[in-house]
Amino acid sequence: MMGGGNESIRIGGVFLLSGVAQALGNASEAAVKTAIEVHNENGGIDGKDVEFIVRDHGENPTSTIKSLVQEENVDAMVGLTSSGVTLKNAPTIESLGVPFTLTDIGTPYITEFDAETYGNKAAGTRNIFRTNANTATTVYAIAKYAVENYDGARIANIGPGYDYGEQCWEYFKAYAAGLGGDFEYVASEFPDLGANDMTPNITAIVEADPEIVFTSFWGGDTVTFVTQASEQGLFEKVTDVFDTIGADPNVFSALGATMPEGLHFSCWYWHSAFDNDANGTFLDQYRERHSEGSLPSIPSFTGGSSYAAIGLYIAAIEEAGTDPDAMIDALEGMSYSGPRGEWTIDPDSHQASAPTVLGETSRADSVPYDGVGLANTEAVTLSRTRATELLAGSGLPSGL
Amino acid sequence: MVFSLLIDRSVPIDPDRRQWILSVTVLAGIGLLIGGYQLTLLTETLLMAIFALAFNLLYGYTGLLSFGHAMFVAIAGYTVALVSATGVGAFGGFSPVVTFGVAVALGVLLATLLAIGVGYLAVQLQEIYFAMLTLSFSMALYIIVQRDSLADILGMESLTNGSDGLTIIFDSIVLFGRSFELVNIRSPLVYYYLVLLAFVLSYLVLWRIVSSPFGTICLAIRENPERAQAVGIDVRRHSWATFVISGAVSGLAGALLVPLHTNVGPSLANWTFSAHPVIMTVIGGPYSFVGPVVGAFVYNYLRWFISQFQLLEAHWQLTFGLLLLFVVLFFENGVSGGLWRLRSAIRDR
Repeated sequence: MMGGGNESIRIGGVFLLSGVAQALGNASEAAVKTAIEVHNENGGIDGKDVEFIVRDHGENPTSTIKSLVQEENVDAMVGLTSSGVTLKNAPTIESLGVPFTLTDIGTPYITEFDAETYGNKAAGTRNIFRTNANTATTVYAIAKYAVENYDGARIANIGPGYDYGEQCWEYFKAYAAGLGGDFEYVASEFPDLGANDMTPNITAIVEADPEIVFTSFWGGDTVTFVTQASEQGLFEKVTDVFDTIGADPNVFSALGATMPEGLHFSCWYWHSAFDNDANGTFLDQYRERHSEGSLPSIPSFTGGSSYAAIGLYIAAIEEAGTDPDAMIDALEGMSYSGPRGEWTIDPDSHQASAPTVLGETSRADSVPYDGVGLANTEAVTLSRTRATELLAGSGLPSGL
Repeated sequence: MVFSLLIDRSVPIDPDRRQWILSVTVLAGIGLLIGGYQLTLLTETLLMAIFALAFNLLYGYTGLLSFGHAMFVAIAGYTVALVSATGVGAFGGFSPVVTFGVAVALGVLLATLLAIGVGYLAVQLQEIYFAMLTLSFSMALYIIVQRDSLADILGMESLTNGSDGLTIIFDSIVLFGRSFELVNIRSPLVYYYLVLLAFVLSYLVLWRIVSSPFGTICLAIRENPERAQAVGIDVRRHSWATFVISGAVSGLAGALLVPLHTNVGPSLANWTFSAHPVIMTVIGGPYSFVGPVVGAFVYNYLRWFISQFQLLEAHWQLTFGLLLLFVVLFFENGVSGGLWRLRSAIRDR
């Protein structure tokens, strides 16, 4: 079978390593490499080293994915930094057959299997798995907090102008309704992804006079938004600002003192949110390898999911070898105990039951850069049953 | 290299009939020898060659630099995706072929219609203004598909599906009790020959056009539009006709590219995709008919070569940029021109 003749176990990675999300992709790659190096130092799998071949999405991600499987003969793949690229390439990934674990992807659609109910929003694919919490869990955590603390408030949305931003806002409204929240939605703005100037959009938000602002910016867009919103005095005028995946060491270190404290930002992983031995070990391993260089010496918001993807593969290969179908069978329903605690890969959706982290931006958190971290963090999980109940009538799948 | 065969001894450097037949035979034979990723790469290269040839009818032959040709690829691509999702008729095991045929025909038709509309407006201006106009129309289409504006206008939930785009999967074809895939992702043998056929036909049709009086008028417009006008050529009308042919053939490339990728998204309409035929043509040489084909091969295989080395791959844009700079600075009329001069130099020794 594929990869059977290799001397080593080969894992391919595709991340955005150039352009708008370069820092994000680099950080995911760093976490994957940390996991692989540690496993190799511990003797690899049955004496075989794990080799990592990483590529940029490039201008033709379909070709990049095919090349890794067909030319580099990888046994399994990790990565992708764009929901759009993921959904578009699902048929190609399915045809290629090797397991593909997503580490940075928000869209619930890619792990939704109920095509009868959700039609073409159900893009679940036989060999695609996901280790980060998807948008259905992330936005639930925010909606729940908002309903519990700010019910009845005037809320405005501002998010990146592509499917991710629009989806987050749809899910927020659906969850708020499901949770019995009664918000007044006063404005919604979608500046382009990677926009340099968000001031007209921020002005529109300020003029709508909201109490709460919901955002779904990530990476460089969060930096742009916070900087320009700060200049326009948005943070003084509102009670709270939520961001779905904006909590990230790269973002917070870039913003430095500009980032206000006391806002509620979430992410898929935060270094100080998990008090367990595995997390301590992971942080030590990561720090040893990244104390110098351009990346902060703590893992990014995709660190937990990227690190876990390798752990899952190693467990699957130890159990079933490198035959793709056997690996897929082993991964379905597999339990994993790691930095983000214990969770399971759902046998139907292939989504990890891993938590999302919601916290308060704060200088009280110990971080290796000049800027805020997160305090009062909460790790939130959500079951498929509960999500389906809350999202009923919205037509939105949970992908859980 | 296959295409060193295409360089004629005489000026112009385009292949004669014997060399052309030999090249096509080699391409047909190669399909049986290689498989997997290499076959996908070759298929894609031929499609980009069709696109670049179509682009160069307007650029190299008529002197009009379009920076928005991606719009024709995109509109045809989206049409193919939408038609294939619906499916056409009940033809049993043969249905996927009918669906594919109808989808491609409609894709080319829509690209042609778009070219008629955009072309009429674009040819009113020349040079940089023409380039900016084509760029604007293409980016307008990009925004329309990226924001799924048509769905809003038509009152549909979704049409182009925004930045997530659409996926395309054709059912297996069943003929005489045997089943096979039209586009096998792992090794697209059937599809390769289909694309090769499209390439040969596009090449011959475009070659026939540029060798005809029509093509000679294109050259006259390129060299001196005022003089062409003065001798009685309706420059705008002729440029418009050229634009429509170029758009239609680009549409064919797009209609065939999308099933190979199994997806279509807004990036296909973006200016960065319009840059591909420009770069390929500059690399290959715009002043020979075969130049864009050479450019497509050099571009795609150079990109592939870079991906084979982790260090180069990590900085692939830089590597690629430097190589391109080298070609532009030191090769007159691109690689095809360079190869021709190399050959002449060897012969003259």
